[in-house]
Amino acid sequence: MTTGSLIFIGLLQALLIAALAPLFSGFARVLRAKMHSRHGPPLLQNYYDLFKLMKRQEILPEHGNFVFRITPYVTIVSALLVVMIVPILAADSPFGWVGDMILVVYLLMLARFFTSLAGLASGSTFGGMGARRELFVSALVEPLILLVLFVMSLLADSTNLGAISRGVATGAIPYLATVWLGMVAFAFVVFVEAGKLPFDLSEAEQELQEGALTEYSGRGLALMQWGFYMKQLAIVSLFIAVFVPFGTMMTPSLLGGLLALALFLVKAAALYFIAAILENAMARIRFVKAPSVTWIAVGVGLLCFAFYLVRI
Amino acid sequence: MNAIQLLLLSVLTFAAAGLLSLALRRFDQAARIFSGLGGGAASVLGLIAALAAFAEKSAAFEWTGLSAFGHFALRMDGFSAFMVGAISLLALAASIYSIGYVHEYRGRGCGELGFFNNIFIAAMLMVVTVANAFYFLIFWELMTLASYFLVIFEQEKKESVSAGYLYFLIAHIGTALIMLSFFILYQNTGSFDFESFRNSTLPLGAKSLIFLLAFFGFGAKAGIVPLHIWLPRAHPAAPSHVSALLSGVMIKTAIYGLIRLCVDILGAPLWWWGFVVLCFGGLSALLGIVYALDERDLKRLLAYSSVENVGIILMGVGVGMMGMSLQLPVLAAVGFLAALYHLLNHAMFKGLLFMGAGAVVYSAHTRNMNEMGGLARAMPWTSFVFLVGAVAISAIPPLNGFVSEWFVFQSLFIASKSTLGVLHIFAPLFAVLLGLVGAMAAMTFVKAYGTAFTGQPRTVHAKEAVEVPGSMLTGMSVLVVAVVLLGLGAPWVTPFLGQVAAQVANVPTETLASGLQIFPANEAQGVLSTPIVFLLLAGLLAFPLVAVFALGGHRAGQRVDSDPWACGYGYQPQMGVSATNFAQPMRAAYRPLYGLRALAQRPLDGIASLAKRFNASLPSAEPVIERGLTQPIFAFVRTVGGWVQRLQMGDLRMYCLYIFLALAVLLIVIFK
Repeated sequence: MTTGSLIFIGLLQALLIAALAPLFSGFARVLRAKMHSRHGPPLLQNYYDLFKLMKRQEILPEHGNFVFRITPYVTIVSALLVVMIVPILAADSPFGWVGDMILVVYLLMLARFFTSLAGLASGSTFGGMGARRELFVSALVEPLILLVLFVMSLLADSTNLGAISRGVATGAIPYLATVWLGMVAFAFVVFVEAGKLPFDLSEAEQELQEGALTEYSGRGLALMQWGFYMKQLAIVSLFIAVFVPFGTMMTPSLLGGLLALALFLVKAAALYFIAAILENAMARIRFVKAPSVTWIAVGVGLLCFAFYLVRI
Repeated sequence: MNAIQLLLLSVLTFAAAGLLSLALRRFDQAARIFSGLGGGAASVLGLIAALAAFAEKSAAFEWTGLSAFGHFALRMDGFSAFMVGAISLLALAASIYSIGYVHEYRGRGCGELGFFNNIFIAAMLMVVTVANAFYFLIFWELMTLASYFLVIFEQEKKESVSAGYLYFLIAHIGTALIMLSFFILYQNTGSFDFESFRNSTLPLGAKSLIFLLAFFGFGAKAGIVPLHIWLPRAHPAAPSHVSALLSGVMIKTAIYGLIRLCVDILGAPLWWWGFVVLCFGGLSALLGIVYALDERDLKRLLAYSSVENVGIILMGVGVGMMGMSLQLPVLAAVGFLAALYHLLNHAMFKGLLFMGAGAVVYSAHTRNMNEMGGLARAMPWTSFVFLVGAVAISAIPPLNGFVSEWFVFQSLFIASKSTLGVLHIFAPLFAVLLGLVGAMAAMTFVKAYGTAFTGQPRTVHAKEAVEVPGSMLTGMSVLVVAVVLLGLGAPWVTPFLGQVAAQVANVPTETLASGLQIFPANEAQGVLSTPIVFLLLAGLLAFPLVAVFALGGHRAGQRVDSDPWACGYGYQPQMGVSATNFAQPMRAAYRPLYGLRALAQRPLDGIASLAKRFNASLPSAEPVIERGLTQPIFAFVRTVGGWVQRLQMGDLRMYCLYIFLALAVLLIVIFK
């Protein structure tokens, strides 16, 4: 594909995720309410919330310095750059000429670094606790993301996400046990990163008043939440791009693009649906017990690596 | 002037600045200004020398005047020039910074501080350029001694003195091992010249012995686990601009020595050499950051993080060495490139962070992060530069720490595809380890910046802090610029460092960058473009900004509220998260690793206490010597004195008689 069309697709992806992220989170909220036999909010409630919050006066904590103010923007910008690199509509990574899977993992880290710093900067107890939990959980899942993506990169012989995605889509990387196990381990990562129960630790609504978000209000809160929705969808799209990339465009065309978009929406909705079922079937776990659960996932990841070594 | 002359001029300027500072030791103000300005000028000369050496390819200088142990030779190939550049750049920032910072030490020996500091830098410059093992050891020792005096500079603190003692001891154990390895080569070649070392005819077994001796000898200086225990005690004890130099470049001279001897001279012939380096690198990286995370002393946290970063550098070195022994030139080139890039980056951001920590100490008079908080309000510039350093060291794109770690990842990726079973299995695991270390580094530096600079002041000291003087900010700004340029300028920096790496590994130079992209010799394997990443991040700001404007957010207004919400109770600064409890979950999750620290510490502490006991036993040996030797001599002198005393009776006439007799005797002797 030409660089021009890739740049166009990349920007389109950014627009798409920015626009659709609140919808998918709303979808999850609706599903959750239905499973609780509640009436629940309307599907578009998240958009209404964002619009309303934008117009509200923003209250800043006295000691939150510039870090507190720029964090909402950093969160959004890093999530957007991630979805410009992840192959969502095309088989190639639209901004693959800018960076690879390592960059994507570290861009997620960029968002996390500033989110937790903002939590500390607010001076609030809950903000600080949320920051601490956010980073603690990341130290547990980060190695796992890298392990799985590294194995997939070795199978594709490149750390470029487009190469991995294209390899899986065309069958050059067959669905061996390695890939299945990698998928399980990565699904776990998606679950944790999306802040779903039982890993709703850093933004624990009931006990930590949404952690790092505690002191945000008005415009800052709107941007922060929007950024979180985007980050969730970005991780989901990374999962889709690496493990179920079927139907993406091999060459750019309008029809192919629309088909790819429709398939992506279906796949993402299915993943949110599965996540909702799992989330509502589980209770929260105590924060300190999180490592024991993650170790199981790390075990699956290592098993995936072992299977890669013996090529099955 | 050629590169070597410039280098010598720079070294002499450092020495002159040091001596001048010593001469002016009665005038604190003058001593600190002259030593700072002199050091700065010398550093600029050093930088020019490094650039000139790059242009000349290779420069050499020989002086046979002192020929007792081979001739005095200086050689500046690409690798030496690179080291000279790194040292000079950090020294420049540290010298400017010291002009303001040393004010803190007025009345406590500013002159001596300037003397030892400049001599220390001069010795480092010589260590990385001298091409003779004998003189290498001399300058190595000079560097160690100068830095020892800097570590114990705050003598009134018992802690500094004991840290200095431990440093002195371990540094000399290391030096002894290095000496031994040089001596084996001398036995074989009959010369101390590095050039003749190349032609040694030693069997591989002997070479392996040399490698192990050199690895642990240099490793003791570099601070690899488990020989690191002196580092987190000694580095923080020194004044902060010296801490920056110790952590930023002194420990890198050990990496230089290791690469020079085992890679450049011996050629890393066996794969397990590299594997040993890789394993110790991984271990140091992991344990270094685990311990850093738990620290509440800001400077000790930084020192532990140096152990981590030395580990990452050694991972690159190890991969590169394995590439050489396995005849994989691309692997060797990318591995050493990663190591050298990270070496340079770490010198810059660790220097920056230590100076930032120094600014905090200067202003808030504490190193304990639990007693800080909210410093960003009083010290906005220091806070900003510290944040840049913290982001860079956490390997967050697009700054420089990310670029070099990206290369380490890529070198491990190439290594994973090797046919050697060990590498095939362990390289991916080391990549995962690097990811874990990266996540924990981010946590460590969020904690450091967050608890020191943000939130509310937790003590009176923190509340009364003020911004530091301009010279300190200027010194730190030099490094901020370096950090940003090494990150965003990666496509232009990489080819330079790639050349040096290829020269070190003795492999052909690979294409590592084209246009705005960098890649590990093979574009299909993966590319990175930090300038574009930066532009995209900046450009994407349009999304949220447009959204805010479109939805009327810009009209909503803002209000600053004094206190964070505290469930309806009155807010107190202690309610914010402190440095100690921030790390609590990690302490719980990685408890076994913290136990390891005590385990590693025990044997070395044992040696230290043994040496101490030996010192303590010296006084008890004194009576024996006294009875046998000192007392008889004393008695003899006293007896003789008694006789002489009889001559002196206080009568003037008697003295005249003595003079007369003496004259008579002299005349008789002369005219006999």
